[in-house]
This record gives sequence, structure tokens and C-alpha cells, in this order.
Amino acid sequence: MHERQTVSLDTLRARRGDDAAGHVFFVLITSAVGLAFFMVGAVGVDVVVEAWDILTERLWDFLGSPSSADEAKSGVSQGIRGSILIAAIVILTFPVGIGAAVYLEEYADDTWLSRLIQVTVRNLAGVPSIVYGLLGLAVFVKGLDGLTGGRSVIAAGLAVAVLVLPVIIITAGEALRAVPTPLREGAYGLGATQWEVIRTQVLPAALPGILTGTVLGIARALGEAAPLLVIGAVGFYTTGNQDFFEQLRGAFTALPMNIANYARLPAETWRGHAAAASVVLLILVFLINLVAIVVRARISKRLGR
Amino acid sequence: MTMTQPAMTTDPATDAVPGANDVFTVDGLNVFYGDHHAVSEVDLTIKEREITAFIGPSGCGKSTVLRCFNRMNDLIDIARVEGTVRYHGVDLYDEAVDPVAVRRRIGMVFQKPNPFPKSIYDNVAYGPRVGGHKGNLDEIVERSLRDAGLWDEVKDRLGESALGMSGGQQQRLCIARAIAVNPDVLLMDEPCSALDPIATGVIEELMKEIKSEYTIIIVTHNMQQAARVSDRTAFFTAEIDEHSGQRRGKLVEFDDTGSIFSNPGDERTEAYVTGRFG
Amino acid sequence: MGVNTIAVSVDPSVPTPTVSLPSVSSRAVGAVLEPALFLVVAAAIAVVEHYVQGPIDGFGPSAFWLAFWVMATWSAWHWPAAQTLASSFTGNHIAMLDGRPAAPVTLAARELSRVGILYGLPLLAIEQNIAPVLALMALSGLVIAKAPGRRAPWDFLAGTVVIDDFGGPATGFERTEVHSVADLQLDESRNRKNRRARATVLALGTTSILVSALIVWNIFSEAWEFFAADAFTWSSLQGIGWFPRRGIFDVWTLFIGTLWITGIAIALAGPVGLGVAFYLSEYANPRVRRTVKPIIETLASIPSVVLGLFAISFITPQVLQPIDESIGFASLLAAGLGVGILTVPIIASISEDAMRAVPMELREASYGLGGRRVTTSLRVVFPAALSGISAAFIVGISRAIGETMVVYIAAGGSGGAVLEYDARNEGQTFTAAMASLGAGTDSVAGVGIAFQSLYALGALLFVITLLLNVVSDAIVRRFRQVY
Repeated sequence: MHERQTVSLDTLRARRGDDAAGHVFFVLITSAVGLAFFMVGAVGVDVVVEAWDILTERLWDFLGSPSSADEAKSGVSQGIRGSILIAAIVILTFPVGIGAAVYLEEYADDTWLSRLIQVTVRNLAGVPSIVYGLLGLAVFVKGLDGLTGGRSVIAAGLAVAVLVLPVIIITAGEALRAVPTPLREGAYGLGATQWEVIRTQVLPAALPGILTGTVLGIARALGEAAPLLVIGAVGFYTTGNQDFFEQLRGAFTALPMNIANYARLPAETWRGHAAAASVVLLILVFLINLVAIVVRARISKRLGR
Repeated sequence: MTMTQPAMTTDPATDAVPGANDVFTVDGLNVFYGDHHAVSEVDLTIKEREITAFIGPSGCGKSTVLRCFNRMNDLIDIARVEGTVRYHGVDLYDEAVDPVAVRRRIGMVFQKPNPFPKSIYDNVAYGPRVGGHKGNLDEIVERSLRDAGLWDEVKDRLGESALGMSGGQQQRLCIARAIAVNPDVLLMDEPCSALDPIATGVIEELMKEIKSEYTIIIVTHNMQQAARVSDRTAFFTAEIDEHSGQRRGKLVEFDDTGSIFSNPGDERTEAYVTGRFG
Repeated sequence: MGVNTIAVSVDPSVPTPTVSLPSVSSRAVGAVLEPALFLVVAAAIAVVEHYVQGPIDGFGPSAFWLAFWVMATWSAWHWPAAQTLASSFTGNHIAMLDGRPAAPVTLAARELSRVGILYGLPLLAIEQNIAPVLALMALSGLVIAKAPGRRAPWDFLAGTVVIDDFGGPATGFERTEVHSVADLQLDESRNRKNRRARATVLALGTTSILVSALIVWNIFSEAWEFFAADAFTWSSLQGIGWFPRRGIFDVWTLFIGTLWITGIAIALAGPVGLGVAFYLSEYANPRVRRTVKPIIETLASIPSVVLGLFAISFITPQVLQPIDESIGFASLLAAGLGVGILTVPIIASISEDAMRAVPMELREASYGLGGRRVTTSLRVVFPAALSGISAAFIVGISRAIGETMVVYIAAGGSGGAVLEYDARNEGQTFTAAMASLGAGTDSVAGVGIAFQSLYALGALLFVITLLLNVVSDAIVRRFRQVY
């Protein structure tokens, strides 16, 4: 048992060594944070250092050239084009995900079926991306080759869109759920139909959240390589005189594919190409996040929050 | 369903033709939330251009009954309403009745001020807009804000966000928003519970003023408020169900406000209004 | 009798209020400025492009496409049509199209056709050199010019839609008497819109569900063929390896590889992620937290190919080889550390959520009893958040198992892999095996059921990650409910 002591200033004063465990723990967790910081920094610095020669000597040439076997000429124009097209196809499918979220959150009754669907969607978000490549290979490459032209950027875009779909449904669903009930009741109380309530109150209030989800989706779509690999993105290709639509259905590549292909070449001299392509990809992802932050801020300001 | 006027329930306060100025006639109303029997066997009649107050302890189902008048309960999946609620003789729960059309005629003000995250102007103009109004909204907005006693305070900042207003102003804005569609009835669900006494006083004055144009039903926890503003008062209480142990709301007494407070017919009413329970 | 119609009139002595609506850019400015700006931007980019040795294969006249993109975005943000569209969508204003309210769909169609006609079609014509496009352009121009609500023939060149002041006579709402249910019905157009919206989102939802079902059905039906072919071995071919194109399917090899990668990743990400979570949840003040958290989250947004590159260009030469010179260009160890970096933000953020969900009262009780911060963190917060933290680890494991590109790039083993127990050597995981089998134009060429083996692995992966996700999901739901 503790005995009661008379209190003097000394008994209340912190003593050295009193909290040794606390100090050790603090050092441990701050070094964990430090290590995490180091990882972020090291990835950034390493990539830029490796890419330095290319970025300084032939930046525009690198951005504007297709991949080739010649180190001095090889670039990422085809990759940029492929990535932008894939992102565009993914964006075109966003309404499907947002619509599904609106249905699940606003219309569907709370039955076992809708709950099963919610759980399934949540779990599909955790399925490894390469599995979506298999889907793309079977359905979009082989099944719908009349539409997609086989191993094409359309097939890749659709497969990535399916991959991103659960992310969109989940984040949009969360944003919709976060819309306060009084807001809905207020609108219903004034004689608005369900659709009017959704369109004029629920969707605008959920817009920042939905936007975040779509940006996450685009960033994910830009960075994914595994499904493209299975669908058959190639290292480089020649287009000849194909017009735009023929190119959509022809051979394709994407930025992450460029990076993977350059990185896997045994000669270390190609590493700079992979790093430079990584810098381009990181900047693209960063820009998209930035746009989202700005747009979000504008919307939130308009909503007066 | 039938289009004839319903038979009158016992109503000592009526001296005109029975049913002539009845806005609502409620007959054998029961409300269930899933298995929970929330309100049982309510019968009452609401008169035109009067303020009717619903009082009673919490959980007695007065808000639930209020929400039956504009079919707000439809929004809750598990809610089920039995019995009849007639609005000018028309069964509100008839299959052919659209709840949206009902709510356009029967406005509602909620417990917590819930202005939309839009400008003051757009808040008031919301109802007319969704209702398909194509004419001059400025007039409607001004009239509604004047009716709600808010015009002078906000006329110079109609474009500013409604969320920047004080709580009392927000609630008056909600009233303005509700009367902008020119409803027949205003349902008020404890409109002053989130407000300070001064703002409450303003709202009460407002209710007395607009009563010449609207039929008002107000749910309140505040007996003084019911006594101050209402013409007639319904006292609800909660009974504990013997089998399930759940609380079930019940209408105990419905009469002139004066009678309820000075000469209640039921001992439970007397206990409540004299502050001995609830 | 029923209800009388009440006319509430506005006091005539009071002037009608003027309501300030968003300012509208002048159409005249729009008609001149927008095409001019477009030309300037296109010219600027063309100059840059010329500097880059002219249009290059595969990138087309990129100057025009880029200019198109820039201008379309810019005009969408600044021009009245888009503004009106946006505001009508959010219900802030009724969008007026020449004095009549216009539906958002109409506005969207107009804006699209405007942007399309102004930029898209000419660009297509320039790039593809197709005459029909020009014809189409002329035709749509005609249609737009003739469309109802037009203001002037050249209107389609600039913002066609202008927000009108809410002029005109007020009609107001009249109170009508209610006699029958017919008086309590919604007008048909609103009803139809309501039904149509419901049907639309239902269709979209069903599409999503069907696609999800398609994934599962497709993968398992292909996998079934593989298992039915009986080439799958768990132990009989142990010690050889995974060489699908030669018909050698020894899953044990991949299992060991996956185990190594996952183990190394969690060994790195577990302590680091937990430490970060403790710091953010228990030690950092809100200001520090707002700075530190986004930096950690940056890790989550790095594409995995970049980390694969990082593994071979930094981890191997700078970290591993100084320790053990025998480690080569590619190794399971390097790949595992790369995957670990990806897993850090996942474990950190889910654990932090779990720790922050622990009620303040518990901490206060601990402090009230004289507990120090370390005691509170480890003895109070950690046990209370344990279920959430275990969920974080499960999600982290699931992510590590499913990671493909880091392993594909940094663990070597293209085509196949021999059975390898030493993490310093090359190896393959389930995912990397699928990637290298699927990669390239001649993918999944090989003996017999090599193609199906891809799906068999996919099915295996699917089941494993699904199980992990279901478990972690259940745990997370539980701790959310508790607090």
C-alpha cells in the first residue's frame, strides 16, 4: 500500500529518469514517423536523381517520342496518350458508379439483398487489381473483341473502370450517407419529390465527397499497371497510318507499363527512362489531386461551410 | 375512397355546422414502427385557422401523430399507419394521393432550424421552384419574409448564406420558406426547443399573427407556450405495454386550451399541467 | 365550404427588391474572346511542339488536342452556359433559357454541342482529314442555330445560355380547394421525372452489380477448367518450381514466394505503421497532425510501379547490397521491402482510426489515476483499439498478397520460378506469376491449360483476399459499433 506523504514542492516535481519508458516509447514512435518520412523523401529523391539526366537533357523529346529500342530516342508519348485515354474511359464510366451509389443509399430498401450487395461491393474494392486484368482479358479482350478490337486501350480502359467502380460506389455512398437528415426532411416538407430532393439537396451536399472519390479513382486508374499487363499492354508499338479510331482499337501502352518495361530491362542504363517516366506519372497524379483540392474548396465555400 | 365529409367526432367547441371548417379529421389512428406500436387509437379534429397544440411527456407520440398529417412518416421504411386521416374530407392515405402534393399544401417546420446551405433568397424560393413556379420569385420571397417578420433584418443580404444567421432567424427563415408555397396548414414540431427565450417570444408572436391565414398545429414540450398561443390543446401520454414493455402513445384529452389548463377532465391531464409528472 | 382562396398581396408602397444574381459575362466578349484565346493557346503549343521536332508518331497534332483540352476546361469553368448548368443542378437558380426555365439536360446538351462544334469537330477534321466531319459540323451548326431558345444565329459560337433576371409577372401559388383525391396528386411531368430518375439509377446500380457478378463467375468458370484438368499439384512436383508454359504447375513455389513477400512487408510496415498511428493519435497536436498525416498519406498515392523501380534502384544497391553482397539485381527481399512501403499508410491510417475511436473518457480515467502518456497509450488505448488494429494488419496483409507490380519488377523470375526458400534470391508470388504469364503480346501461349492456370491463380487470390477482407470488415464494424 502507498502511504500518504506530506506534499512538498519536491514530491510534485518531475524527476529525471522517472519516465524512462515514456522516453523510449516516444523515441520509437517518432523514429517510425521519421522512417515513414524517409520513405516518402527517398522515393521522391531517388526517382528524380535517376531521371535527372533525361529530364535535363531531352525532356521535350522524351515526352514527345514513342518508345523505341534506341536509348537516345525512346520516350513516353505513347504511354502518356494511353494513360490519358484510359483515364478518359474511366471518367466516362463514373456515372455508373455514382448512380449505383445513389440507388443503394437513397432508393434501395434495407433488405438482405441490398446489404449483401453493399458487402460485396466493399470486398470487391479489396480484390487485387490483377484479378480485374483477368476479367478484362476474358470479357473485354476475348468476349467483346468486336467492340474493343482485342488487346486495345478500350479493353484496358474498361477493365480499369471496373476496377475503380467499387471505389467510386463506396466513397460516393459514404458522401451521400453523410448528408444530414434534416436537410432532406426540410426539402420533403416543402413538397419536393424524391428526385428533386436528391438533385437539389443531397447531391450538392455530397458533391465534395463524391469528387474526392472520383479523384481517388482517376489517380488509381493512372497508376495501375497489373491489369494492363494481363490485358496485353505492350512496351512499344508502331501505329503506321492509323486514324484515331483505329488507334483506339489497336496496340497500346500506358505510363506505368512504360515504367515497368524500362525497369525490367537488365541494362541499368535504361533505369533513367523508368525514373523519368515515373516523374511524369507522379506529376500527373499530383496535379489531379491538386485540382480536386481546389474544386472541393470552391464548392465547400459556395455551400457556406 | 369516399369523398363525403366524415361524421363529426364529439367536439364541444364547435358551434357552426359540424365538419364545415374541419381541416383534419383523425379516426382510429395507429402508428407502428416495425413491431413497435408507437401510437394507438387517436381520434381528433383540427379546426381551420386555429392553433392546435399537442402537449405531453416525451415519447408520447405527439410528433409521430404530427408527421401523419403530411405523410412524413412515409419516409421511414418501417413506419406503418392504420386508421384514417381526412384532410377536408379526403383520405390522406388513399392510394391515389401523392404525398408530395400533400406536403406542398401542408407545410412543416422542424425542431432544429434546418435552412438549406444556400442563400437566404434561394431558401425561400426553393419551394416555389420545385413546385414549378415560373413567375416572379422576388415578390414571393419578399412576401414570405415579411410574413415571417424577417424582411427588415435580411433585405440587404438576401444573397448571403442562410447558415450565417442566428438560430432564431434561421427558424423564422424556415417558417418563411414553408409559407412561400402558400400552404393551407403549418405543422410545427417543437419549433422553439432549440431557441433562446427572446427568439421563442418572437416566434410565438409570429404564430399569433399568421394564424389568420394558416391552420397551425404545434407540438411543444413547453406547457406555457401551449397556453400562450394555442386555441385548443391535445394532451398525449405514454402507456407502458403490458406484454412488450414498450411505450405506446395515447391521446388523453382534447379540448379548448382554457379548459385543458383550468378545468381538465382527466386526472392525468391535471397531473401533467400542474407539473406533478412529465 | 372547404378552404377559401387567400390572396396575400405585397404592400404596393414597398419597391420590389432587387436580388443580386451571379454576374454574367457578356456574350459579345465571349463570342470574340473565346475563339481568340483558343487560337493563342493552340499556337503557343504548336510552337513548343515544333521545338520538339514536329508531330511524332502516336501523339498526333498534340498541340490542338492539348489546346482543346485546356480551352474546354477553361470555358466550362468560366462560361455562362456551364455556370448556369452548374447552378441549375445545385438548385441555386432556375436556369433561364431565353425567358423560359431550362432543364439541366438541355443546358448540358447545349454546352456539349457548343464545345464540340467550337473545338472538337474542327480538331477531328484537322487530324483525321475527313470531309464527313465538316459536313456534320455544318449540319449541327444549323440545328443549333434553329434550335428553340436561340438568340442569334451566331450564338452557338459563344455562351448560348444566359442567366436571366427573374422578370415577368408574378403568378404565385393559389390555394385551391380540396374536394377529392384528384386534388392531391402530383402533376404528371414531375411524377414522370421522379420515376425516370429512379429507373435510371436502378439501371446503373444493376449494371454495377452485374459487372461484379461477371467478375466472380468468369474467374471461377475458367479456373474450374484448370482444376478439372488435374494438372494442379500441391506437393508431388515440390522442388521443381512454377513453369506454366511447360506444364509444370507447382503452387508451393508461389506460396513460399507470397509468404516471404507478405512477411517482409508486414515486418516493415507493421511497426512503422503502428508507430505512426500512435504518434498521430496520442502524441501529435492537431496542427502537427494536419501536416504529418498528408505526408504519410502521400505514400498511399505512389503508384506501385514507381515503388518497384525504387526497390531495384535504391533498396537493392543502397540498403541490401551493402549488407550482403551476394544479393543480386532482383530479390524477394527487395520486393518485400518495396511492398512494405506501400503497406505502411494502410496500417497507419486504419490503426489510427481505431485508436481515435477510443473514447476520451478512457484516457482521462487513466490520466486521472496518474498514468503517463506511454502507459495510457500502451495499457489503455492499445487494448481498446486492438480489434481495429488487427483489422488494419489483416487489410495490410491482404494488400501485400495482392500487390503485383513491385514483385513483378523487383523479384525477378520472368516466365517461371524455381522453388526458392531463400529470400535473397529471385522468386515469384501468385500475382507476379500471373503478371509474367499474362505479359507481352504472346501472353498465355504455352502448353495446354497455361491460360486456365492464370484463372486458377486468380481464383485462389480472389478467395484469399476476400476471406481476409470479410474478416477485417466484420472486425471494423464491431469496433465502430462499440464506440
